[in-house]
Amino acid sequence: MRRRILWLLTPLILLGFGWLTSAASPQQSGPGAGSARGGVGDTTGPYEVPDPKWPEWAHPYPKPGYIWGSQGGVFAESPNRIYLANRGELKLPEKVPNNFPGNWGFFNQQAATQPIANMVNTIVVVDGNGKLIESWNQWDKLYEWGRGPHQVYISPYDPERHVWVVDDMRHVIFKFTHDGKQLVQTIGVLDEFSDNEDLTRLRRPTMIDWLPDGTFFVADGYGNTRVVKYDRSGKPLLKWGTRGTGPGQFNTPHGIAVGGSPPRVFVSDRGNRRIQVFDVNGTFLDEWPGIAPHSMMLSADEHVWAVDSISDRIVKFDLSGHVEYSFGQFGTRPGYTWAMHQISADQEGNLYIAEVFGGRTQKYRPKPGANPTQLVRGRSLMPMAGGTR
Amino acid sequence: MTTTRVMSLVLAVGATLPSALTAQARPNFSGTWKFASSAPANYPGSNGWGVPSPIVVLAQTAAELTIESGQFGANPMKVVYKLDGSDTIWEAPSSSQSGSTAIVKWRTKASWDGNRLVLYTWNTALNQMRDIISLADGRLTIVRATEQPGPSTNATLTYSRGS
Repeated sequence: MRRRILWLLTPLILLGFGWLTSAASPQQSGPGAGSARGGVGDTTGPYEVPDPKWPEWAHPYPKPGYIWGSQGGVFAESPNRIYLANRGELKLPEKVPNNFPGNWGFFNQQAATQPIANMVNTIVVVDGNGKLIESWNQWDKLYEWGRGPHQVYISPYDPERHVWVVDDMRHVIFKFTHDGKQLVQTIGVLDEFSDNEDLTRLRRPTMIDWLPDGTFFVADGYGNTRVVKYDRSGKPLLKWGTRGTGPGQFNTPHGIAVGGSPPRVFVSDRGNRRIQVFDVNGTFLDEWPGIAPHSMMLSADEHVWAVDSISDRIVKFDLSGHVEYSFGQFGTRPGYTWAMHQISADQEGNLYIAEVFGGRTQKYRPKPGANPTQLVRGRSLMPMAGGTR
Repeated sequence: MTTTRVMSLVLAVGATLPSALTAQARPNFSGTWKFASSAPANYPGSNGWGVPSPIVVLAQTAAELTIESGQFGANPMKVVYKLDGSDTIWEAPSSSQSGSTAIVKWRTKASWDGNRLVLYTWNTALNQMRDIISLADGRLTIVRATEQPGPSTNATLTYSRGS
């Protein structure tokens, strides 16, 4: 019955996307706008799902009787080093159907909330085939009193390639060494939070992005309604934002991307269903209505890719807010998605999508002859000091 | 009494007086408290977590504060906060919205901020609550912040003495 309800809901989701595209269409005035766009039903866009056992990709690690739950984040450092942020393992029902594909979304329950997750294997590193390289179990205890890692990143400008993990419910961002052996810094104060005026404490931070000089910006977040800017050492410099619906006001700033020339800060104002654009000192520049992204990323070709929480579409914007392309479709079958929470692309063009409700991270490979303008191109990382691992 | 003895006495009193005054300044929240108002009005908590309980019963000793209340979920609970800042951790069965039962781990922590007491409550069913409690004019004020997977909530709750 639940499955039937899910499929009955799908047309409504698609109608939701119709609303999204119509809301965005007035901005499609730039060169090429509209011509490259996908349409409803364009589930995987220029990508294909390469492995017939695809849902099993990167899933063989939980102990018997358990399965990975909500997947908060994914970051592809290279085609053979992919970080997965898992919000704990979930106990499977006593009996699972023969056609159970291996992801919690199959049960039509949001993997983010039920049942209670066992916080193990929260950060793992896999190769391009999903084979386990590292499991940072030494840090699982950090997530016990929260809901696990929210998202995971490496700054493209950091030659040491520190790994940053946002933990919204413990109100901090952890900075680890590349190998995960040391926790070198914590932004915010563990388990403490405050309001928009406090530069020391965060309240439910969601996402982070960097300028080339190491300056970084944090979307903060579920509790506060602001952006905080830090210098490269992690010293807070300034903040902007209040609760509301006007310019420079937020309702759940859930994503952030930084780039362009001069650099701009693109903030997903999820609760207000828009993206707001600022300069690096918080001066409001623009807003792009009609989309409520869980997450955003700036691509190597200087576009903003946003994953919409309403339509489960991936939308490509130029830096002026014109929609150039979109694809994706709600669902739990391979290739479909349920609440994309972070996307990342490797240097070979593979795309990785972490789903918080679907409870899986999928890998997508470019179709032969795919239009390169439709592919998500990850920013190149600065070469690692001393060579890559 | 020699000068040395006088000086020793003065030093001893000087050393103990601040802590004694601090202890004196700290209020005792014990009592049965009846819900009076909330701002915002009709504050619902977050899906039942943190919802204002009509009655809360507080019992305070030098070592701990115990709160008996319905604010921690579907059923009233007694929750203990140690006043030395250390954690209290325990496990208890809990029913989910779907009706299934699971063992949930709980954790509490308290710290003084002047004459206000800051109370943290966490559980592994993804609930957090921070209450800052204070006394004024015979009323108990609770500044509450809750966290669940969705957006955070904030409220100021007022209780009057009653049964």
